[in-house]
Amino acid sequence: MTRRALHVVTMLAAGAGIVAILGRADEIEAPPDNVPTEPGRSHARVLVVTGLGGEPDFARAFALQGDACARHAEAAGATVTLLKAEAANREAIRNAIGTIARESAETDAFVVQLIGHGTFDGEHYRFNVPGPDPTALELAAWLKTVTAKRQLAVIATSASGAAQEPLRREGRAVITATRHGRERNASLFGGFWAEALDASAADLDKDERISADEAFRFAERAVASYYEDQQRIATEHPRLEGDAQPFILARTAPEETLEPASVHLASRVDELTAAIDALRADRRVLTDDDYFEKLQELLLELAQVDQELRAKRQDLPTSDLVAPFQEGDTR
Amino acid sequence: MIRSARRLPGPEPLPSRTGGPLHAFLRRVGLGLVAGSVAVSANADPLAHCRVLEIASPDAARDCFRGHLADPSPALRAEAAWALGDIQTANAAFRRAAQASPGDATVRVRWGELFLSTYQVADAENLFSEAVALDADNVAAKLGLARVALGRFEARAKQIVDGVLAENPDNIEAQLLFARLALEVGDIEAARQSLRAPLAAEDILLRLEAMALAAALDHMLGSVPSAWETKALEIHPGYGELFETVSHFYIITRRYREAIAQLERAVEIDPELWSAHATLGINLLRVNRFDEGRRTLAKAHDGDPYNVEVVNTLRLLDSLDGWDALADDQVILRIHPDEAGALSGYVRTLVADAVKTVGERYGFVPDYPVVVELYPRHQDFAVRTSGLPGIGVLGVAFGDVVLMDSPSARSFDEGFDWASALWHEVAHVVTLGATDNLVSRWFSEGVSVVEEWQTGPSRLQAVDAAVGPARYRAVPLAVVEAHREAEMLPVAVLDEGFIRPRHPGQVMVSYNQAGLLCEFIAQAHGQAALARILDAYRDGKDTVDALEAALQIPHGAVDEAFSAYLDERFAGVDPAAFEAAMQEAVDAVSTGAWAVAADAARRAIASYPNAIGESSPYPLLAQAEMHQGNRTAAVDALMRYWRAGGRSPRALARLADGLADAQRPGDALAVHRSLALTTPLSIDRRLRLGDDLLAFGKPREALQEYLAAKSLKPHDTADAHYRLARAYHRLNESEDARRHVLLALEIAPRFRDALSLLLEINR
Repeated sequence: MTRRALHVVTMLAAGAGIVAILGRADEIEAPPDNVPTEPGRSHARVLVVTGLGGEPDFARAFALQGDACARHAEAAGATVTLLKAEAANREAIRNAIGTIARESAETDAFVVQLIGHGTFDGEHYRFNVPGPDPTALELAAWLKTVTAKRQLAVIATSASGAAQEPLRREGRAVITATRHGRERNASLFGGFWAEALDASAADLDKDERISADEAFRFAERAVASYYEDQQRIATEHPRLEGDAQPFILARTAPEETLEPASVHLASRVDELTAAIDALRADRRVLTDDDYFEKLQELLLELAQVDQELRAKRQDLPTSDLVAPFQEGDTR
Repeated sequence: MIRSARRLPGPEPLPSRTGGPLHAFLRRVGLGLVAGSVAVSANADPLAHCRVLEIASPDAARDCFRGHLADPSPALRAEAAWALGDIQTANAAFRRAAQASPGDATVRVRWGELFLSTYQVADAENLFSEAVALDADNVAAKLGLARVALGRFEARAKQIVDGVLAENPDNIEAQLLFARLALEVGDIEAARQSLRAPLAAEDILLRLEAMALAAALDHMLGSVPSAWETKALEIHPGYGELFETVSHFYIITRRYREAIAQLERAVEIDPELWSAHATLGINLLRVNRFDEGRRTLAKAHDGDPYNVEVVNTLRLLDSLDGWDALADDQVILRIHPDEAGALSGYVRTLVADAVKTVGERYGFVPDYPVVVELYPRHQDFAVRTSGLPGIGVLGVAFGDVVLMDSPSARSFDEGFDWASALWHEVAHVVTLGATDNLVSRWFSEGVSVVEEWQTGPSRLQAVDAAVGPARYRAVPLAVVEAHREAEMLPVAVLDEGFIRPRHPGQVMVSYNQAGLLCEFIAQAHGQAALARILDAYRDGKDTVDALEAALQIPHGAVDEAFSAYLDERFAGVDPAAFEAAMQEAVDAVSTGAWAVAADAARRAIASYPNAIGESSPYPLLAQAEMHQGNRTAAVDALMRYWRAGGRSPRALARLADGLADAQRPGDALAVHRSLALTTPLSIDRRLRLGDDLLAFGKPREALQEYLAAKSLKPHDTADAHYRLARAYHRLNESEDARRHVLLALEIAPRFRDALSLLLEINR
């Protein structure tokens, strides 16, 4: 079986509708005859840029956040370009976007993540980098050249709310650390955004992948909790416009391979998941007892199929139902 | 009657500023004194003839005052308007009078009194100060300042009064103030002496005031009913201030039920005494009579809409309408609904443990429930406590009612050890209950402090081999210095350190001194000696008699032996060396000189073992050791910190991780318990403790942690349901397990662990 086939099958097992990021371009090979293929399969390109820190602590933090974003995106199968420190200047950003524009197709997904400080002078948002700072309008103009229909811009900087309007475009989701340009204090959002990519708690649907929507919800809550816990007035209110669900930015577990003999099981998983979705949609017309009875029926079958799949991978987790310690076990 | 003390609604309120607690009472007293002083001194008071009519014929008095509303003198118009309750007109007239006579100190004094009567203490203080600046010998101005200080419980009140009496030993108003101050600190004899002349004063109003204080003195001695009550009521049957005065002394000695009885008498004979209604309402709340308290406060507000304490408290009560009230045999808990699920379990356990542990040590286990109210906003707690925002304490016990800041009222970084604070307050419930609230302030605080140190959730767990100061709970270095500089108060007057501290740091020193004193008594005379002291208080003895009866030695000998005990306890403690070493360690950490930092932190520990405050060397030592690769030493440093009672969430989180890495799961569980207790509103820490408990085969406890976490609305709802399902499954409570695993999978159908658990449950 070819690697591409493996990707396709895994995608089906992992969840319908998530098509943005499946693997590195150089890993894709021709599909075998007996495996379903997807016409116009997409690929994900991710550009991560960390701007100027101004102070050593910020510089260190931004670098770590950028590294984390890049590392997770790569692990999730994207092709990643990371610009940081002196290399992250205006021209380099423009060139990187230009390269991606040339190399990507309409069916691809494109994600740009800017981490650092931003400013807003009442008219223009600017991302702080060495040399001239690019404005949101310039970023929007550069992104226009990218033909990928699904785009996501994550502007994790102070004052980034001012970039929402210039970057708005059909098919592009925009995430900013602040509600508007007047939220000018150094932003915490980027740190929590990076943290989300490594947090199993961010994976709300437990599909072992963290979408941009999930990461945003995690980071948004973490920002609010931080200010609440510190009893400080919140100086940033993250904002998401558009549909960020299709963009997979990290995985909570390595992608699993599937033997051809298990393909029918994976298909059954998809069918059962779809049936559960349909049942959930019908919940209002069912009594609680009926709903949960039917839900349990579907989930039990799903559990059995999943167990069979795992057995075939010989990847059963150890039981957590045994108490490994006793309270008196102290030193 | 002193109608100038009454306030009828004017067209508009004066600009409102607030005073300190108990000002309503003191304002009334002040006005009484000054009104009296004007009435008698004067010949200088052209309205004296109106004022004397107030007792016998209020209507005639009002007509008399009205006759002066058009007087050419603005000061006189002000007095007349004030007496008639027209505060705005009085204020404007005083302003004109001050402008017309800029050098007249008396106008400023009277204007200050008007401000004092309308709860605007800072303005009053400014006017009294201006009057003193104009006339350095103005006794009324000085006494005005004394009353301001009295209301704020400042030690300078006594200094001012002493100064006035030194110059004017026969001044009746000063004698009355002196008596009040003496009575507040329990100096009965001094109060009695000071009341002699005022009780024989010619002026009726001053004499009534003296009679009220004399009645209060009798009440403090338990000599009731007081003959002075009868005498005062014979002069003025509607003199509600008599009982209001008595109530004040019950309140400051925490005998709220007795205070309520007095206040009920006050409003019965003078239904328009709004300050008494207000104090009654606030004290009804203190004994958990919520509905009555609210009704009474509403009545007080109808009569006097300017009382900021009443307004604040009524607003607070409105905000409590949606709160949960959870009751069982041991605890009645009033709590914000968002926090009830996370805190109620811990609060119940802490209260039950504290009542039993502390109660058994002192021979009194309350058989009634303890009422606990937890306020997420510190200012709400402050208003509930005193009617005013801005108090500096974290918790307060009114007999069996405990009010506290909730853990959410302070940030994690402030290190608010709410569980210890609750333990402290429940210890007050024990000592107050054991003595019918007759215990002295210092002893009740001392027991609470020492119980925090020895039995509380953050108690010192000294290692067996500890020697010298390492055997003891560390106290702030300022306490060590206060002892060495002989600044600690003798036990006979230690209450003054709480009630009228001479400097801002004295309250903290007094708390610790009281705790150390109880620690010393238990060590030198046995734990039972503390219970005997409580018994003596319950029998009505004062501090000196209680100590001498319980310890069978003169109280002076207690002071001497205590001082020697502190010499030994603090032997080897070197504050200067500690602070120098700490600074060196902090500097070294900032430059990454880890070996230097570790060495300096070790020297700081040697200079003052068990220091766990904000400036603790243990976390610094751990950080330095960790950077040098000495993980075991880092964990050991943090273990010492934790055993000494340190509860910084960050330090404990590092310790728990270190213990887990070091394969010391039992210790890690113990630290996780502390961490969750310290930060009970942290979802992650509650979940982590739940996981540890489950791993240790304690599913029931784990379930409580998971339920607490779930109540806090975690981000990952599927995971929260899954953990609950695991705990229920381990408890063989299959239906709950099934329900929660289905809820988890409804959100996340591909949740593999949950799918496995579903199969397990259905097997």
